[in-house]
Amino acid sequence: MIASLFHYYNYWMFIGLMMIGFYAMMAKRNLIKKIIGMNIFQSAIILFFISTSVKGKGASVPILRDAHETHEAATLNIMQYTNPLPHVLMLTAIVVMVATLGVALAVAILIHRRYGTLDENEISLRR
Amino acid sequence: MPAENAVLIIVIPLISAFLVPLIGRWKRHFSYFCTIGALATVSLISTSTLLKTIKEGNIGYHMGGWAPPFGIELAIDPLNAMMLVLVSVISLLVAVYSYRSVDQELSDRMVYFYTLYLLQVTGFAGILITGDLFNLYVFLEIASLSGYALIAVGENGAPLACFRYIIMGTIGASFYLLGVGYIYMVTGSLNMADVHQLLPALYDSKVIAAALAFILTGLGIKMALFPLHIWLPDAYTKAPSASSALIAPLMTKISLYVMIRVLFYVFDISILENLFPISRMMVWAGFAAICGGAIMAMAQTDFKRMLCYILVAEVGYIVGGLGLANAVAFKGAILHMVNDAMMTAGLFTVAGIIMYKIRHRDLSDFKGLFQTMPLTMCAFVACALSIIGIPPTCGFFSKWYLIQGGILAMQWPFVGALIASSLINVFLFFRIMEMGYSFRPSHKRPMAINTTETGINEAPMSMVIPTLGIAASVILMGLYNQVIVNRIIAFAVPMG
Amino acid sequence: MKPLYLITTVIVGALLIYGTLDMPRWGDPHSPASTHVSPYYLQHSLVHTATPNVVTAVLADYRGFDTLGETTVIFTAGMACILLLRRRRKG
Repeated sequence: MIASLFHYYNYWMFIGLMMIGFYAMMAKRNLIKKIIGMNIFQSAIILFFISTSVKGKGASVPILRDAHETHEAATLNIMQYTNPLPHVLMLTAIVVMVATLGVALAVAILIHRRYGTLDENEISLRR
Repeated sequence: MPAENAVLIIVIPLISAFLVPLIGRWKRHFSYFCTIGALATVSLISTSTLLKTIKEGNIGYHMGGWAPPFGIELAIDPLNAMMLVLVSVISLLVAVYSYRSVDQELSDRMVYFYTLYLLQVTGFAGILITGDLFNLYVFLEIASLSGYALIAVGENGAPLACFRYIIMGTIGASFYLLGVGYIYMVTGSLNMADVHQLLPALYDSKVIAAALAFILTGLGIKMALFPLHIWLPDAYTKAPSASSALIAPLMTKISLYVMIRVLFYVFDISILENLFPISRMMVWAGFAAICGGAIMAMAQTDFKRMLCYILVAEVGYIVGGLGLANAVAFKGAILHMVNDAMMTAGLFTVAGIIMYKIRHRDLSDFKGLFQTMPLTMCAFVACALSIIGIPPTCGFFSKWYLIQGGILAMQWPFVGALIASSLINVFLFFRIMEMGYSFRPSHKRPMAINTTETGINEAPMSMVIPTLGIAASVILMGLYNQVIVNRIIAFAVPMG
Repeated sequence: MKPLYLITTVIVGALLIYGTLDMPRWGDPHSPASTHVSPYYLQHSLVHTATPNVVTAVLADYRGFDTLGETTVIFTAGMACILLLRRRRKG
């Protein structure tokens, strides 16, 4: 148990963060708070993915050193560099997240124009 | 035809989506013709792709020339080629139909409507065509975001319904992404075919169980599987007629397609079956969806809302059919996926026409419509008979396969629910037809605009002809169901 | 409704943590994620794309189609905001 805590605490922290956002998305009555929850949830997913690319102590960012000198594939030590793929995926996911945030806020503005409030309880009263 | 043409199925709607706002600034209604042109081209290309896959086998196209596990692959087999044809044809017909309705409901924002319409089709096509799990997520989000916008511009109350959909939909998409991340953690790959080869050694891993649970839950939200359907009725009822006619039939079917792709082509359901009773869970989920959808449909007085609950029940047919896990039911489920997209598209277009003419769509507004709008009601009857499952419409044949499969698998509750929900559909639609025939049209509503002496007051031809086209294809797909099953779906069946 | 949400959250979180228990431990350089596809990018990206930054190489070249989708997402969001927020011109 202690060993697994040591090996996985990193994932668990992000899962905890995710669940904070997930709960806020469902339980909060204010629409903006829901959107904030959505943002926390997605950010936690991104951190989770990024943390999977870590390769122990020796590895650094995946930018090849001495790249402009002759650099044969055989001499390259892949243990020096972290895994680039999660970074790439999350660059895309960040953009998707921002876009979702934008559309959600636009819809929130529409709701505010129509009901004059962003509180779910009050909206249900004014319908 | 070279394999490169397959990529045009995504590229053409994408580029037209960039062009439409520019053309629209010059002449507003040119955006409509541009959309029609793009979708017609896509329909032709996807049809020829389907013929090619049937004749020559699967197509794999490497984007950017990078071989699959490293680059992104477009993988086309008869199953997704057929879905591409379905999506492009329905979106073309709905686009033709949409002009007058959009002109009435959103006249000042038509250009942006058609831009998002094309982006929606791009998203659908991308989901269908891609062979990469993460790329699928990106296109799922394109489809979802444009869908949110198309829904939120609807009538009063649409933004709130759409906001709930955004929250649920984001949870769904994020769950899918988490599932893909878990798969990536233990396989190191994102390509579907590659993951399929790597997975068999890993099935007893907890990671894979969690990944599958998250992917299926996420897709369950997107496809409105019964307890997760709560966002659907509000969102699709309040959306503009043209958007609901595009999104309601297709979004659920696309998510179902992704589920089939993940369960049968990425995972291997026969191995999963040994670990936990996934098929039985799917049958029961389908059973719950059929019962819930059918019962809720009976309680509705709003025609579009009733259709939404019928849609929930239809998702149950397909999920349950997949869970029956025999070849007959699998064929039935896929055939029903295609048929259901067509017939719900028909019914939603009819709802849009009635909305356009009468500005109301309660069931009581159908009074006397057979007299005033005979062509529309003709299309309505064809689609309604198909939902009920009466030959020779296509709904009969897919239900027949599903019931046969249910009997083979001895899943009596599921068979019972199928038959019971067909009876409920009989009740629902015959009630509307009776109203349409036997009552005089009510003139309380502002509908008598230019009634001719015969009392015929049909909607504009640009709306009626596509609707009749959908109704005709409902009947044709019924008559030629053997061709569809033997030539296309038979290739997609994973179990013997 | 709040207890229901709390229960859902706990279930989802527990399932996620259950899934991590069989994962390669954090920072394991020999995990499948670091050994199946990613070494190929590190080893070949300089020869294939002449870019020392491997993330850029993968983003813009190997998985460039994802990036096309990403820009499309932004375009979609922009168009969605225009469609939703544009007010009818007065008069």
